[in-house]
Amino acid sequence: MKLSLNWIKDYVKLPEDMDLTRLAYDLTMSTVEVEGAESLAERFEKIIVGEIKEVLPHPNADKLRVCRVDIGEGEIKDIVCGGSNLDAGMKVVVACPGAMVRWHGEGEPVEIKNAKLRGVESFGMICASVEVGLADLFPAGDDHEIMDVTSFGAPAGTPLAVALGLDDIILEIDNKSMTNRPDLWGHYGIARELAALYDLPLVEFPKYTPDTEEEYDVRIADVERCPRFIGAKVEGLSVKPSPFEMQSRIWRVGMRPINALVDITNYVMLATGQPTHVYDSNHIIDHIEVRRAKEGEKLQLLNDKELLLSTDDLVIADAEGAVGLAGVMGGAKDSVLPETESVIFECANFESRGIRRTALRYDNRTEASSRYEKAVDPERCDQALSLAMKLFSELYPEMKVVSFKDRYEKKLERAEIDVEFEWLDRRLGKRIPQEIVAKKLGTMGYDVTFSDKGMHIVVPTWRSTGDVSIKADIMEEVARMYGYENFEATTITTSFDGAINQLSVDLVRRVKEYLAFRCDMQEIFTYPWMTDEFVNALMPTTDGILALATPPAPNERYIRSSLLPNICKAIVKNERNFDEFDIFEEAQVFFDGDYTSDYEGEKLPAQKKHLGCAFVGSSDKVTELFRRAKGVIGSMPRFTHMEGFTFEKIEKPYWADETVWLNICLNGKKIGDLALLSKKAALACGIKVLSAVLVELDMDELVPFKSRTNRFARTPEFPMNEYDLSFLVDSMVKWDEIYAAVMTKKNELLRDVTFVDEYKGKQIPAGKKSVTIRLVIGSGEKTLTGAEIETVANGVVKKLVKNIGAEVRTV
Amino acid sequence: MKEKLEALLKEGSARIEAAQSENELQEVKGALLGKQGSITELLKEIPKLDVALRPEMGKAVNNVKNLLSEQIEGRREALKLKASAIPEDFDCTVPGFEPKSGGLHPITQMCYDLNDAFRSMGFEVFSGPEITSEYYAFDNLNFPPNHPARESMDTYWLEGHESGEANDKLCLRPHLTGDSVRYMQTHKPPFRFVYPGRVYRNETTDARHERAFFQYEALIVDKDFTYTAGKVMIKSILQKVFGQDVPVRMRAGFFPFVEPGFEIDMGCLVCGGKGCSVCKHVGWIEIMPGGTPHPNVLRAAGLDPDEYTGFYVNIGLDRLVMMRYGVDDVRLFHSTDLRFLKQFH
Repeated sequence: MKLSLNWIKDYVKLPEDMDLTRLAYDLTMSTVEVEGAESLAERFEKIIVGEIKEVLPHPNADKLRVCRVDIGEGEIKDIVCGGSNLDAGMKVVVACPGAMVRWHGEGEPVEIKNAKLRGVESFGMICASVEVGLADLFPAGDDHEIMDVTSFGAPAGTPLAVALGLDDIILEIDNKSMTNRPDLWGHYGIARELAALYDLPLVEFPKYTPDTEEEYDVRIADVERCPRFIGAKVEGLSVKPSPFEMQSRIWRVGMRPINALVDITNYVMLATGQPTHVYDSNHIIDHIEVRRAKEGEKLQLLNDKELLLSTDDLVIADAEGAVGLAGVMGGAKDSVLPETESVIFECANFESRGIRRTALRYDNRTEASSRYEKAVDPERCDQALSLAMKLFSELYPEMKVVSFKDRYEKKLERAEIDVEFEWLDRRLGKRIPQEIVAKKLGTMGYDVTFSDKGMHIVVPTWRSTGDVSIKADIMEEVARMYGYENFEATTITTSFDGAINQLSVDLVRRVKEYLAFRCDMQEIFTYPWMTDEFVNALMPTTDGILALATPPAPNERYIRSSLLPNICKAIVKNERNFDEFDIFEEAQVFFDGDYTSDYEGEKLPAQKKHLGCAFVGSSDKVTELFRRAKGVIGSMPRFTHMEGFTFEKIEKPYWADETVWLNICLNGKKIGDLALLSKKAALACGIKVLSAVLVELDMDELVPFKSRTNRFARTPEFPMNEYDLSFLVDSMVKWDEIYAAVMTKKNELLRDVTFVDEYKGKQIPAGKKSVTIRLVIGSGEKTLTGAEIETVANGVVKKLVKNIGAEVRTV
Repeated sequence: MKEKLEALLKEGSARIEAAQSENELQEVKGALLGKQGSITELLKEIPKLDVALRPEMGKAVNNVKNLLSEQIEGRREALKLKASAIPEDFDCTVPGFEPKSGGLHPITQMCYDLNDAFRSMGFEVFSGPEITSEYYAFDNLNFPPNHPARESMDTYWLEGHESGEANDKLCLRPHLTGDSVRYMQTHKPPFRFVYPGRVYRNETTDARHERAFFQYEALIVDKDFTYTAGKVMIKSILQKVFGQDVPVRMRAGFFPFVEPGFEIDMGCLVCGGKGCSVCKHVGWIEIMPGGTPHPNVLRAAGLDPDEYTGFYVNIGLDRLVMMRYGVDDVRLFHSTDLRFLKQFH
């Protein structure tokens, strides 16, 4: 919202030397965010009034003229101009060198320089209104008409801003910072805040009393939605431009002047925050009625939108039908027309929610509806009426109010609040002198009665529409007007016993840091909604999956019960740029079932914390991918200090390859999967080249250790010897079987056996594979001799031959 | 002969030093000390000398022989070391090997930095469910029944759960504040806790707006807590995150769940408060809303608002991370693009 500082000064007399930066800062700190302050004088810098002394033909161009212009103190300059209405004696707008103007009103402002036009030296430029941004105030008859300021009577050389009375400061307020303050949506409301801030008197609007006994026929059918409606029939009017100062003010704060009648209503709204409206009285049949729209009723708005109304809409109607959408916009038929001579003036109060619903229903938010939907108080009609009637009589001395009715059916209760000093002091951390509290609250319209222990406060109507209702609100009013910066910072004194010990919170962090820093994986974030093609590729069914009522996109309605669809989407995205990468995500997943909650009355669907991983690489390295994934997951318990997993084959995940899959189990319970994404699923996802081993794990099932549990082991005193064995074995024999074969009834000198490598292919007979294992052989008592080591190794060879039919290749 | 011997020592010495390999050195040794070597030849001539001169000359020749032998051995050691030395063309400007390149998401990193800061001040870390009832998303937090945020154009309601009573209506949580009530209902005051997490808004996305984004909320609740203590809390946290003392101001702001409510600004670190394009020339950057919990929120949590009070802060994590690295498009955080994510290791 834009505010004119001059306009504000109508209602509160700010000191002449008021520092603008200070004012913007104080308003920001205490009330609303001031986003900017623009000086109009600066916008029109180096733009002055010039008087044309003589218009001469241009020697080299038919359409141009050379004007001899007085630019002040008798200084005459030649300015080349193509204007169609140039005349000696005319006062025009001269942009001197250095001024910023928009050429023909288009593009970015450019700086005016002395220039030669068709061979004639020209000082600056004589401007059209559009070139100095004043087309709304000085509409041009044709494209070549230049702006005429003769009627303003300013001598040549006067800065334009001074000549037009535009010497004003425009404050830009962030609308978001005052959505809760309906009282601030006009100049008067901000003036009231400034009055309280600076302890200055606030100008009051005199109460208007009609000088007619005649009642205008106003009927309200829905008092809840329309607590008050003032209707007045005003005669002796005409459609003409409003005075320049009124037009100028309306223009300064971002609206367009239209004609005097419409300008009065807009001016009143901008001043008081109370929307008003005028209808041509010739088109209002018999009376005004405020009622709900009827089934099938239609209305053509001022902006020519044709609406089929809802019975929830509140309309202003006459004997024949709807003439306006209450609180939103007037109808086309009954608006001010060129021949209008008398009007029905409306100043009404409407319930906020209904106005908001209607404005949204037709996507037709207006200056009026955006004010009403914030809950304007019904008492404000008095201020608006007072100002409007004053303006009517000023602009139309002949005007007469011939009938009038203030139908005020539902008064607003003023909120009443008791505040104890003891409570207030405790919350503020200090005592603010009573006279300051009284003065600040008083200026803001509160009626305060003091007693020994506290105060009884009656809230003004304009703050009683929901804004101020409890003592914390009063504390805020006192604190912000006293100045938040005038409270000294206090230290936090709360004391707690015991250190923070949150095992599962810490475990999640350890797991993520393990994956990122120890396992070289990158954490990603994906959305909770899944894209249909990935759901179809990876999930056997959409049963049990929750969906959004208004999804971000039609094919993104399901919200995840698994992290894998979005992880696969991330694979597709990164496959273009990388041929090998490992990623993980930790996030919540949701299931349409098991509705429970730890909180009163609430029933929430099952929600779990999952970990998803993808190990992605070349399709000819599936074994490597698989072992990488298994290594990362298998070692996770040890490195992150939690109870260990086992890998089992219980149930193949839907999306997994027929062979390469495992379930992750904890204490016999399946808590996750580790498997190669099947070729079919990969293709359905659009993963074109790479292979991926995916992991999904239920993090809520993990059991963190209370502390480290592993025990120290003494380092061996005598050397441990590594001894590699390679042998051929049936390709279906598993490592688990080889390990078991070696470790049964083992020699105590055989300390460990590990898998080194396996190989299938050339030089290996079909149906066989070559396996290399490493034996660790050593004694706790002495250094073993070569022969002793050989004996242990030979024992292993015998077991391999006997138990799994191995053919030992090299020893 | 004496001159000859000196010349021989000088020449031999030079030849030894000139030898560039073991073989060359061996050749030089042969030429000097071998059977037909020049020193050996000289020794052979001693018997021919005058008897009186023999002992002295013999000693001199042997001395030279020893000197050369020693020098040869020295040279041999030097040549051995030289042979195993790194060649001179070794390039010290070649780049080092990159360490492993895994990493946490930049938002997780910021979240953990804040967790560390808050934990050092005795705060617990809490998290609530991302699907919540309207009751916990709005009703408990003093949002009036007609508040625009409740509408489907702002909040993601779940299909089949978008109507009914407050407890029946379910949505993706639109903010974290509801979780504060969950915590307070299940714990005993006084409270000090943070509850970071992701929240969801149904809106059109652009470089500054996302449908899913991260918030970091902290709440302290105790008896006799003044709002000015909240300022101390904010200052301490920012100091920890930005590594320097950051000016903070609290100004009037409105949020349904606080009373009084504040917009909290920090002094612009780019210009030091003088005004620059980053802070839109005001010297301050809006970083978080905060304020005293509204009495209705405390009541929902089962506390007496006359007895208890406190302070909320709600930090937009995405925004803070954007400030930390100069990221200009919030949508990059959910892009899963590793070319982006790998820049924050």
